[in-house]
Amino acid sequence: MDIFGDLLMGLSVAITPINILYLLAGAMVGMIVGVIPGFGPSAGLAILLPMTFGMDPIGAIMMLAAIYYGAMYGGTITSILLNTPGESATVASTFDGFPLAKKGRAGPALVMQAVASFVGGTVGVIMITVLAPLFAQVSRSFGPPEYFLLALMGMLTLIVMIGQHWKLGLISAMIGFALGTVGVDLETGQGRYTFGSAELIGGIYFIPIAIGLFGLGELFYAFYKGLHKTGTGGIVQYDKEERFWPTAKDWISTRWTMARHSVLGFVVGVIPGAGATIASLMAYSTERSISKTPEKFGKGEMAGLVAPETANNAASSGAMIPLLTLGIPGSASTAVLLAAFLLWGLRPGPLFMEQNPELAWGLIASMYLGNMALLAISIFAIPLFVQLIKVPYRVLGPTVVVICTLGTFSVNASFVETYLMFAAGIIGFFMRLYGFSPAALVLALVLGPLAEEALRQTLTISRGSFMIFVERPASLWIIGVTIALLVLLPLLNQVGKSAGQAEKAGS
Amino acid sequence: MTITSKAQRSWAHAGAMAAILALPLGVAAPAIAQDYPSAEETLDWTIAFGPGGGNDIMARTIIDILTKYDLYPGDIAPENRAGGSGAVGWGYLYAQSGDPYGISTTSGSFVTTPLQADTPWQPEDFTPVALLATDDLVLVVNGSSEIETIEEFIEAAKASPMNIGGTGTVNVDFIVPTLFAQSAGFEFDYVSFNSMADQTTALLSDALDAMVGNPGEILGLIESGELRPLVFSGQNTPAALEGVPTMGDVGHDIGVSMPRGLILAPDAPAAAQDWWIATMQEVVETPEWADYIEGNTLTPTVIYGDDFRVFLETTKNGFEEVLRSVGAID
Repeated sequence: MDIFGDLLMGLSVAITPINILYLLAGAMVGMIVGVIPGFGPSAGLAILLPMTFGMDPIGAIMMLAAIYYGAMYGGTITSILLNTPGESATVASTFDGFPLAKKGRAGPALVMQAVASFVGGTVGVIMITVLAPLFAQVSRSFGPPEYFLLALMGMLTLIVMIGQHWKLGLISAMIGFALGTVGVDLETGQGRYTFGSAELIGGIYFIPIAIGLFGLGELFYAFYKGLHKTGTGGIVQYDKEERFWPTAKDWISTRWTMARHSVLGFVVGVIPGAGATIASLMAYSTERSISKTPEKFGKGEMAGLVAPETANNAASSGAMIPLLTLGIPGSASTAVLLAAFLLWGLRPGPLFMEQNPELAWGLIASMYLGNMALLAISIFAIPLFVQLIKVPYRVLGPTVVVICTLGTFSVNASFVETYLMFAAGIIGFFMRLYGFSPAALVLALVLGPLAEEALRQTLTISRGSFMIFVERPASLWIIGVTIALLVLLPLLNQVGKSAGQAEKAGS
Repeated sequence: MTITSKAQRSWAHAGAMAAILALPLGVAAPAIAQDYPSAEETLDWTIAFGPGGGNDIMARTIIDILTKYDLYPGDIAPENRAGGSGAVGWGYLYAQSGDPYGISTTSGSFVTTPLQADTPWQPEDFTPVALLATDDLVLVVNGSSEIETIEEFIEAAKASPMNIGGTGTVNVDFIVPTLFAQSAGFEFDYVSFNSMADQTTALLSDALDAMVGNPGEILGLIESGELRPLVFSGQNTPAALEGVPTMGDVGHDIGVSMPRGLILAPDAPAAAQDWWIATMQEVVETPEWADYIEGNTLTPTVIYGDDFRVFLETTKNGFEEVLRSVGAID
């Protein structure tokens, strides 16, 4: 079947009243999760995952995916109105988004970010539609040696991209790896660090850890910073009538920006370990460096908002490629999405699209619809989300604690996991306080066991010889790409970061 | 809720005991048999794994049949008590010792989990109802492989050791090829994977020489010719794998399978055990059950009561021996 046939079949699966309802619910929740500062898509997904029990798998996965990409839309609203990014991928959107709002152009900024997000997201889905089957074909030549190298690539990229605090990132990843060793050793069947407990046979599940680190940890940090005492009086008011819509100049000046960063963002998203945050920072710095008026950046330039917004949405689409075709998550939030697939007995990988065409294409088709819904929501429901920003932390805080606890417990009805979640919450607070990387920990916890198993499988197959990594053509390619990334990414990242810091200093 | 119903239940028991004491024995025994199952009591059906898994599907299939044919008079409350590879759910059932209204379905972990962890229970502690089916495995090679038959495979494996993939280690996936290789006289390296999808990917990428797996999960790839089935570990080859010999056919019967059966709490009354055996005899005759067996490519192997207990014990001892000999457990 050709791509259009597949996509039409996917649409017919996605367009049922109940699935559309789930999709809209997912989009709304994604916006909300994005709007609440310090509460990103990873925590939102992890907490809402148990709620999908009993739902039809297609509806459930469509909804969870909508939360994932919807968060990219919502996160920008606070970046523009409050100068506080709703989540890390929208940090770059504060650089020009907030100055625009201060200049009285909050309305156009909000509309343009919605359009930019839509363009980035939709171009991203188009690229998934075209590229995912090709990737699945290529990845059929991938076995344990290639999986080991890909997991390694993901971890190295993540650590390199952390930049100057890479040592703290490395330590965070090591903690994740250590936690990943708990459980029955796949090869020998012996329990490791299980202390005879049946609950630990299966290892430490990363969902409670992710909920603790991202949900509770961020909340504790917000209280530590005193967010519950300060009101939200800093919201920039915007004109709902006269100056709400962008001018013709806004559209014309940013049309190539959107095109460029849709592609760039997508490519960065495909790389395991890179993801939306890095894509948005890189987009901002490249846009500024090729702009004819770089001096206007940071003072309310529309292109400076459009570039990172297009890129982070395109990147979140791009990250679906390794997830669907390899089963390798590139970030903490795609790791939670992977957990959702596994929960339904679906194992994403090279054979996934072939064996589950309805689900795979249904999901892809739903992403077109989801992006349209999000465009509409983020233009017309802005007043609603502005109200949400005004909810004080002393109300939000206890609610989050309750949701985190219930969410964790309902996954496996396990007290051990609930305690682990609270422990992770406390650890997450200190990690945040001292600049460690919770994302590196969670990703290492997921990729660590994968890498360990793949390496041991590889060495069993090769009878202990490491030459297998250079004898297989697919392995050689991955090694080549990894080396190229490790050389190129730090350079790009440096440019991105310095651009970001310059803006911060200037504003 | 549970506490109240437990209390009521023990009052009912006390009543029954009083009846036994008051009446001559010959009259009392059938009275109990008629009492079970009481329409007043809710059947507490433990599913020791999460929704959607093999154990869950089997439990809910049986419950659907019981409901559809009106075989059970009272309410049935199925509950997923997942955790610790079944340790939590079966531990819960173990704690209901003597209660005729606690029931659960078994799967492979019922035998392997107690070998791996300090569970307070052993498979033979429970009151056996019936073994209903077994999960058997098929050995496959890549469709592009030069090996066409199991004889060619054994010959090639004797010439130079092969690697065979499977899911997990404390599992039939490991035990079946190990026993088969011992019998056929070849050596191999076992490569363990976390899931069927992972090992299939590895086989298709030519990293593995062969693998074992439940036929149901790879039927599509077998039909499309991407995987080539060589031998089946069960007693009878399922229809979907027509033409594939069993291990017995090629003279290396190993007699190990994963038990899918039904158990009651330890020391459940004999009347309850008898009632369930009689009921399951009806269940396995229904077309719905035949569909379930076929849809999941299971081997229908039905044995009842104490024969099932013996089967569990033999399986457990066989597993323990193989696993201990390779150092997987100590």
